[in-house]
Amino acid sequence: MAEPLLSVENVSISFGEVRALNGVDMTINEGEIRCLVGENGCGKSTLVKIISGVYRRSAGTVRIGGAKVDDHDPRRAIAAGIQVIYQDLSLFNHLSVAENIAINRLLHNGTRIVKRREVHDIAREQLERVGVSLDLDAKVSTLSIANKQIVAIARALSMDARLLFMDEPTTAITTTEVDRLFSIVRELNQRGLSIVFISHKLDEVFDIADTITVMRDGYMVGDFPADSLDSAKLAFHMTGRDVAHQPYRRVARDDDSTAPPVLEVRDLTRDGHYRHVDFTIRRGDILGLTGLLGAGRTEIALTLFGLNPATSGNILIDGKPGRLTAPWNAMSAGIALVPEDRATEGLFNAQTVSKNVSSTRLDHVVNRWSFLSPSKESELAQRTVHAMGVNNKNTDTLAATLSGGNQQKVVIGKWMATEPRVLILDSPTVGIDIGSKSEIYEQVQQLADEGMAVLLISDEPEEIIATCNRVLVMHDGDVIAGFDDSQRQAPGFKEKLAELIADPASAAVRSKG
Amino acid sequence: MNRIQRLVARDPNVVILAVLTLSVGITLIAFLGDRFFSSLNLQSMATQVAEFGLLALAMGLSMLLSGIDLSIVSAAVLSAIVGGLFLAGEIIPITPGNESTVMWIGVAAVLVTGLLCGALNGLLIAKLSVPPILATLGTFIFFAGVGMAITGGSSVPVTIPGFSEFATATVVSIPLIFLVMCAVYGVAAFVLTRTRLGRKVYLFGENSVASRFAGVRNERTIIFTYLAIGLTVGMAGLIMLSRVNSARVGFGDSYLLQAILVVVLAGFNPFGGRGKILSLFLGLVLLQSLQSAFTIMRFDPFMRSFIWGASLLFVVGVNRLFHLRANRRRILTNLAPAVVNPIDGSPHPTESPPGEIPSTGTTETTK
Amino acid sequence: MKSKATKIWLFQRVMHRRAKTTEKYLFAIVVAYAVVVAFMNPRFLRLETLFDMIAGGSGTMLLALGLSVVLISGGIDVSFTAVAIVSAYISVLTMDSLGIDNVAFAMLMSTSIGLCLGFVNAVLIQFLRLPALIVTLGTASVFHGAMAVLLGTTDFTKSEMPQSLVTFGSASLITFTTENGRYGLTMALPFVIGALILTWLILHHTMLGRSIYAIGSSEESASRLGIGILRTKLFVYGYMGALAGVMGILYFSELKYVNPTSLVGTELIILAAVVIGGAKLTGGEGTLLGTLLGVSLFALFQTTLVFLGLDSSWRNFFFGGVLLLSLGVMYARQRVADRKNLVFEAN
Repeated sequence: MAEPLLSVENVSISFGEVRALNGVDMTINEGEIRCLVGENGCGKSTLVKIISGVYRRSAGTVRIGGAKVDDHDPRRAIAAGIQVIYQDLSLFNHLSVAENIAINRLLHNGTRIVKRREVHDIAREQLERVGVSLDLDAKVSTLSIANKQIVAIARALSMDARLLFMDEPTTAITTTEVDRLFSIVRELNQRGLSIVFISHKLDEVFDIADTITVMRDGYMVGDFPADSLDSAKLAFHMTGRDVAHQPYRRVARDDDSTAPPVLEVRDLTRDGHYRHVDFTIRRGDILGLTGLLGAGRTEIALTLFGLNPATSGNILIDGKPGRLTAPWNAMSAGIALVPEDRATEGLFNAQTVSKNVSSTRLDHVVNRWSFLSPSKESELAQRTVHAMGVNNKNTDTLAATLSGGNQQKVVIGKWMATEPRVLILDSPTVGIDIGSKSEIYEQVQQLADEGMAVLLISDEPEEIIATCNRVLVMHDGDVIAGFDDSQRQAPGFKEKLAELIADPASAAVRSKG
Repeated sequence: MNRIQRLVARDPNVVILAVLTLSVGITLIAFLGDRFFSSLNLQSMATQVAEFGLLALAMGLSMLLSGIDLSIVSAAVLSAIVGGLFLAGEIIPITPGNESTVMWIGVAAVLVTGLLCGALNGLLIAKLSVPPILATLGTFIFFAGVGMAITGGSSVPVTIPGFSEFATATVVSIPLIFLVMCAVYGVAAFVLTRTRLGRKVYLFGENSVASRFAGVRNERTIIFTYLAIGLTVGMAGLIMLSRVNSARVGFGDSYLLQAILVVVLAGFNPFGGRGKILSLFLGLVLLQSLQSAFTIMRFDPFMRSFIWGASLLFVVGVNRLFHLRANRRRILTNLAPAVVNPIDGSPHPTESPPGEIPSTGTTETTK
Repeated sequence: MKSKATKIWLFQRVMHRRAKTTEKYLFAIVVAYAVVVAFMNPRFLRLETLFDMIAGGSGTMLLALGLSVVLISGGIDVSFTAVAIVSAYISVLTMDSLGIDNVAFAMLMSTSIGLCLGFVNAVLIQFLRLPALIVTLGTASVFHGAMAVLLGTTDFTKSEMPQSLVTFGSASLITFTTENGRYGLTMALPFVIGALILTWLILHHTMLGRSIYAIGSSEESASRLGIGILRTKLFVYGYMGALAGVMGILYFSELKYVNPTSLVGTELIILAAVVIGGAKLTGGEGTLLGTLLGVSLFALFQTTLVFLGLDSSWRNFFFGGVLLLSLGVMYARQRVADRKNLVFEAN
């Protein structure tokens, strides 16, 4: 029995008082393709950083090729054949493709003088191994994300990697690019490279992995052969419970035929982002907008919120044209956007919950002399925190100290306080624990029941199926499919949706032909 | 005891500053006796601190918005020069009859020039998205250049009698200009904590993207703040003009470093979003007391400069320590040296702590 | 006459890259200015103007080179003028008290002191994780203040200072005589050219230099790769200090006057020249050609406004104006691009 390539035994690590990993064991053998999965915050990224030498573990052993490794640093891990491609790809945007690829090798060769020819030779050799050709002198900042990934892989290979970790490699690339990536990975695996994917995209996990390793809350749940699991079982292992969401059904309203829809979008086009988009949202609708990255969904959301003016087309609110040139216009028109990136776009991390909640309602927390009223502010905050079910009821806590789920509730709460007519949620449950997810789904459904028009943008088919009564699928800027209430409730919808998302290109062709 | 603990935890900076100021004050009184604690010296301190205090306020305001305003001194000087021209009779000849009219026009000219300087900064930053440190680097040089172009390097003497009385006037033996400075501080503190504009300043300063997404009119906030900075700077220029009764390019050059020192001492975060006017006032008192003590002890300018520099390093170092301790949960202690933003020192975390979403895309920050 | 295509080809062969937009604009401004001035006063086109410019701009160029390297690494330094004066002054005092009268000695000593002061900056910035702008603001005062307090601020006039420096400062590389007198090309020029070549070689042809770009581009990624951040920063700030040390001696020699209270205060305008040349405060970007052009523009304004009938006190006006214009154009363009790409970070 050959020595395993990597062996992690009983490893633990704490950050301050938070125990991030508890006695984790993992073994990777030569020639494997492994997927490491788990909910956000389960510790998978932390584990990888310990293996790659970026973090120092507090307890346990790491063995590479049988040899025990004590406090090691990144260079030793690299020397031992371990390469990690982090989610941000760790590239140098201002350097060229060739330099980015070659820099690892050059560092370890101890090169002092850099010769352009040498750099290009190393780069060319690695790109050949990957099987893609790129302009060696181009600055990396000019490349697409998929090509940047190729550069990162080429760089990893230049160090005679034996074990390659890839952290969430497919979040930011299109399906075609995912296919290209997977075929490259399989090819490299044939030639002796072991690969560990960290991913939460379950359908891809099943596609590529031989074995699936599941982590949860800092503990190792176990290793499972890929064909022994299906998504339900996997979700069970990842979350520790059976999760079933009650799908949403819209209740017909009296004014359905008489009143204009709350939001109507006609032939909306924004050059380079999306084209000829039509849809309507009535009171009580939760319209799901799905598709892969680059489909144009967030761009539409930003247009509706005044941050991305359309080049042509109409937006009607309650039947009247809306002038949405800036966020404050959209807010006056009754549109609210819970943005995609909670940390940068949605929250003021160093401010209290109270100040976060009032940030959209500053004009409404003033006293009769137009000065800010602390009592009104705290009252608003308390109301919001209770309405949204935030665990920590102290509104003076800093937003940064809340969990992901509670943070998102605060964000949704601050927008609900504006009493909008249209609520747009852009990927609202990314990075949130399962409990909060359910609560948020319930709240959104209740809001819709009470008459809110909701646009839900999501990557996760499960989420769409559970919460939306109508669905639109987009691909590359076009709407390629739409499902109304009855189509949505028809049997086989789930499979149709999955098929569309997995292979939108052919569906797009079909819908045009 | 618990209340004190809570107070400290909530705003360690103000408390430390208050304690520091008090101890320094007591030490100075103990060692220098009534050379320091005489009404004459206190009056003199109050007079001197007025113009610097306003400059420090301007610097603090610009830091709240995230960035540094390097042009405050040259804008103040330029305002003083423009006003000085009026008050020297170079623009409107002064006759015995129109003296007071010309004087008031001159005063207005100083303030308007300050406003215009602030407006230029505000437009560059808000409408052209030039980073504040660069925009104000440009305006710093440009304003100095305009001042030089106007005066050719010589000073502009004020000829209107009675103008210098502004600098020496007292109200119940407290210098008038000191009271003016306090009033301005009071207004600033009030606006920042109790008005919507002030709140928007803090929100924008902390996270300009989130404030845009929250419907805050970022551009307006920037421009209004820089107009306020310009007005404050103009007032500083007015006081300068009145104290020295003339205006010259190059006056007050050392104020820039000291202004940054006082603002950093007061716990302002150059990355924006954090800083209390009360702290700034305390820091000002502290600094002016030291400055006055230095004068009494006859420290030469280089000795003082050395002390200011060393204090700045000391303060930043201590602040960093506090930041690390207070954020033990957030700052990861087991890793290879974290990476720090060179302008302000905020740490780029190399990993989001457990429980947070992993970042997509690069972790670079612009600023 | 070579065609435009050939010129571009030549440029690319030498520089291994295309000219950046900033460089093109700067070059155009420099040429346009020269044309206007020449038109208004043909005396501008004499060789002595060029020699004057080089003399006036050499010191600035040396400092700007060091500063460019610092900016490329993602940092900033405003203590270099203090370092220049302190290093040079200490050297002069040593020479004076030990009776050594040798330019090479002065250079060596000043460079070493500058190097050490630069190391202090690097340690404070990296080891203690303090922000570079504020640290170097502090060290500038500390260095200069300490020197003044410990060593005094006595100046040395031409006859009092070490004569080797005076001789060095009066010597010239090439001399020619016109009806107006003798004009010489400053001896500082070889130092500038040497520093330019050395900096270029380091930045583009050594791992150290590429690491500097890497760190400036993404310090985090660099540390993940195992690039020695402290080591690289020690070099960066040390190099700045060393160049400042050299400049200090050149400065005293050129002026034939040792005044330890001069020069300090000009650091921001030198930063402006480097920024005009296209270096960004965010790091990873900056070309030596850009710096050269930025300093040339500075030198042009410094020495040749005379030909337009304006004295040099107008320099800041023009230089500041050009800086504001170039900043406005550069960042407005970026703003438009950002809006299109839905990037909201930079306001």
